[in-house]
Amino acid sequence: MSIEFWDCNCFVGTPMKAIHRPAPCAADLIEAMDAAGIQKALAWHIAQFDCSAQDGNALVSEQVCQSDRLLGCWAILPPVTGEIKLDGFFERMRQNRIAALRAFPDQNRFLLNRVVLGPFVDEVAERRIPVLLSLERGITWPAVYALLQDYPNLTCVLCDIGTWGQDRHTWPLLDVYNNVYVETSYLGLEAGGIATTVSRFGADRLLFGTGFPLRYPEASMLPLLHAHISEEDKCKIAWQNLHRLIQEARL
Amino acid sequence: MRSLRDAFFQHGKVADCPVHDCHGHMGPFYGAYLPEADPNSAVRMMDRAGVKTLIFCHHAALFAPDIGNRANIEAVRRHPSRLRAYCGINPNYPEAVARDIATYDDYPDVYVGFKLHARFHQIPISDDLYRSVWDFANERGLPVLSHTWGGSAFDGPQCVRECAERYPNAKILMGHSCHGAWDAAVDLVNSFPNVHYELCAVLDNRGMLEKFVEASGSDRILFGTDYPWFDYHYYIGAVLGADITDDDRRNIFYRNAERVFSITKARKKGKRERRGEWNS
Repeated sequence: MSIEFWDCNCFVGTPMKAIHRPAPCAADLIEAMDAAGIQKALAWHIAQFDCSAQDGNALVSEQVCQSDRLLGCWAILPPVTGEIKLDGFFERMRQNRIAALRAFPDQNRFLLNRVVLGPFVDEVAERRIPVLLSLERGITWPAVYALLQDYPNLTCVLCDIGTWGQDRHTWPLLDVYNNVYVETSYLGLEAGGIATTVSRFGADRLLFGTGFPLRYPEASMLPLLHAHISEEDKCKIAWQNLHRLIQEARL
Repeated sequence: MRSLRDAFFQHGKVADCPVHDCHGHMGPFYGAYLPEADPNSAVRMMDRAGVKTLIFCHHAALFAPDIGNRANIEAVRRHPSRLRAYCGINPNYPEAVARDIATYDDYPDVYVGFKLHARFHQIPISDDLYRSVWDFANERGLPVLSHTWGGSAFDGPQCVRECAERYPNAKILMGHSCHGAWDAAVDLVNSFPNVHYELCAVLDNRGMLEKFVEASGSDRILFGTDYPWFDYHYYIGAVLGADITDDDRRNIFYRNAERVFSITKARKKGKRERRGEWNS
């Protein structure tokens, strides 16, 4: 059975620190996706983390507009400083092929809670716009728990969950919050991680991701292709769940 | 001829490309939930990925002196044709080390070398407390798998260098390849013929395998996963995704391990292998 793959966790752009064969622009990312056999991607831009949300958001918009196989993520900042213009924010997301948001609270020095984010994130939750949080990039597990306590209906995708098995962190969240999802690039690294999570929570709560260009796409693809789960569940994880989240978001 | 990538992607395993995992563990551990950590689960997961052999050291052998290497012996004997163990060494208990060395030859069906984990034991691998182990391995040309990590005063590149100089006949397997100190790992492999790369925790860093192969060739790179921490298909997928040749991949998946651990010789002894006398 041939399975389509949509990658919810990859970045475009040239990192501040050199890495092995990055994807500086959309064409490079598409080339890498083709080599691996990945059809679509929800990408962010490394400058959102390395430099600033403002510059990175502009750069990712430029790149994802170059291919109908790409959608983008914008990085958010606290509304209070006015650095991110909220007027027409969601309409501008739609116009720029931005389907989801990311936050790097430690890197950007803010707290991810209601005091800081206020009604803005209420609207994000109400519109069912996915917020992707990378545990490798500026957010801790207590911060994730605090965010969800304040915004229990937020659609939240936990990415890059860590190289050691994180089930003790992720499973309570999957139990309590129906809109929490786990990206698979490190879950697939845990021996039996995908099958065990699916047996406990079903396949609707996992999204395929690669961590490219820092990690090999094939390393994420092979554990899913041969996980001890049904073919239908593999398709859900590989692309259908991300497709559904994108469809459900109201922009 | 079909590529290994296509074959593994289609079937999950490839009959003419076995995989030997040279760095595994067994049993539960405090740091994470490990859903597939017992010997039966290990063999089931090995079967799904075409992993013929897992060479491991039980967590209890390293971290629970009250259990020690008994855990290794019991686990191997549940699947004697598929599992072998490194004799775990905890230098904080010299009497136990002396006992384990004295009884090493009582378990030819179990042990294939030694495992050091100085990060946890907090004694440098070059310390005299390990001398009897190194001497034993050096005399017999046995593999010693040591956790190695860049920047570590216990098992960093300088410690590996000291051991490589002192014990030229021991086969030093750098677990995690001095993670982070990649250039130092390359220098060690290129300087000492008895030093080998091992890929556990390397393969989630895209580009490092290419670096090793370019710098040193592929015949001193051993495949390892830290199973049950990490998934076979994840690490196999990473090797398939790296920009190296299928010949390199075969070296990494099985040829190098067969040489280091004399697995080929044992394979020819089919009946003995089935009795679990794999490396005798």
